[in-house]
Amino acid sequence: MIPGAIVFEFPKDFFGGLWVTVQISALGLAGALIIGTGIALLRVSPLRPLRWIGAAYVEFFRNTPLVVQLFFLFLGLPLIGFRFASDTFDNIFRAACVGMALYHGAYVAEIVRGGLLGVDKGQIEAARSLGLSYVQMLRFVQLPQTFRSIVPPLGNIAIALVKNTSLASTIGVADLLFGAEVVESRTFRAEEGFGAATVLYLFLTGPLGFAVNALERRMLIAR
Amino acid sequence: MIEFRDVHKHFGQLHVLRGIDLSLSEREVVVVIGPSGSGKSTMIRTINRLEPIDSGSLVVDGLRVHEKNVDVNRLRRDVGMVFQSFNLFPHLTAAENIMLAPMRARGLSRRESRERAERLLAKVGIPEKADVHPARLSGGQQQRVAIARALAMEPKIMLFDEPTSALDAEMIREVLDVMRQLASEGMTMVVITHEVGFAREASNRVVFMDEGRIIEDSPTATFFERPREERARQFLSKVIKH
Ligand SMILES: Nc1ncnc2c1ncn2[C@@H]1O[C@H](COP(=O)(O)OP(=O)(O)OP(=O)(O)O)[C@@H](O)[C@H]1O
Ligand SMILES: [Mg+2]
Repeated sequence: MIPGAIVFEFPKDFFGGLWVTVQISALGLAGALIIGTGIALLRVSPLRPLRWIGAAYVEFFRNTPLVVQLFFLFLGLPLIGFRFASDTFDNIFRAACVGMALYHGAYVAEIVRGGLLGVDKGQIEAARSLGLSYVQMLRFVQLPQTFRSIVPPLGNIAIALVKNTSLASTIGVADLLFGAEVVESRTFRAEEGFGAATVLYLFLTGPLGFAVNALERRMLIAR
Repeated sequence: MIEFRDVHKHFGQLHVLRGIDLSLSEREVVVVIGPSGSGKSTMIRTINRLEPIDSGSLVVDGLRVHEKNVDVNRLRRDVGMVFQSFNLFPHLTAAENIMLAPMRARGLSRRESRERAERLLAKVGIPEKADVHPARLSGGQQQRVAIARALAMEPKIMLFDEPTSALDAEMIREVLDVMRQLASEGMTMVVITHEVGFAREASNRVVFMDEGRIIEDSPTATFFERPREERARQFLSKVIKH
């Protein structure tokens, strides 16, 4: 028996699952970055009510388990008449993506907020003194500098997100972990099946960590 | 061009500006000096409303800066400011630093802004640094880019808050040369500096501040030859010695 051969015996479960994991990771991460940036901007806004909304968001999504949030999106929302898609498979896939984005968005928000506050006040004054509006200042000065300074912690979030997508299998998303479970239940070759899944996860997170390091080095040069 | 009338400003309990009266006409160059903490920076920063004032009136180029609903972005487009710590945008090249505001706040095209940036970099003596990031420039070069960045908005007034006090001797000269040229071209300028040489050659008036008040406002020659105020005299003798 060749180690890892099981992957090629059940390519649909492993590679199909891997592809679903990649999709949820990519969409979830994109969503988390957008949501996190938006929430962070609320948290540093000059208007107090906006700051409260931002803080409430972070506290809620950080202080409840991801699995519970996923179940709420997948089972709770349909009870009040909302589904992400009429098709059941599409619905759970989208619920998983949204869940990843909402939950990790809270963590991204905290990191982006720290980055925004870390930008030198003189930068903001210089931008405003040139006649740039608050929004233009954010867009062209404060946010670009923020993202340059937070590449490493964002990388950690991205890696955590890829691993956390495995929780989507609990709501029935046919991701990589789900594939490994299916194969295990069919063949009882647990060590082989989960070992293969572990290696496939590493194929995703390893290069991601590498890319983050490379990006960080590039950002340091341009700073 | 600039008209302060009984301007007051507090930071919490601290009464920083205690009734400033000052007026500047077009093409005038005024140097502001005074001891640390006397309110020089605060005063100059009220002109472009980086610091709002508590009471009094302040009119800059016809805009009533003391009013809540003044269009600050319009005000700031016409008032350039140069800071002690340069505050160049580190993620942008020298040219991009200069191009940003003309493109975004004046609506110039990328090409027009680039041409303007190149012309201004030549004017401040570093045309070859257009595509270099600030981290690779000397302090004097950074400050000259910062001046070019402010000039790119074609301001009517330029404010300088100790533009050379973070610089070494040789670099101070490079920056002062640019400022002198600007003054000779007729720019309206308010300059906080302890560079007596610059004040003597390039300014029309010297304003001496202490404890939130202007205690002397004299033509440059008069101020340096026979300052009216004892405190100004004492301060001058200290500054000129070193
Ligand atoms: N943002 C602020 N909040 C609170 N206090 C401030 C603030 N900015 C300035 N001050 C205080 O106001 C007073 C005047 O400060 P300002 O910077 O205007 O003085 P200055 O004459 O420019 O001094 P220096 O020569 O040291 O630059 C000082 O006591 C300073 O500590
Ligand atoms: Mg000062």
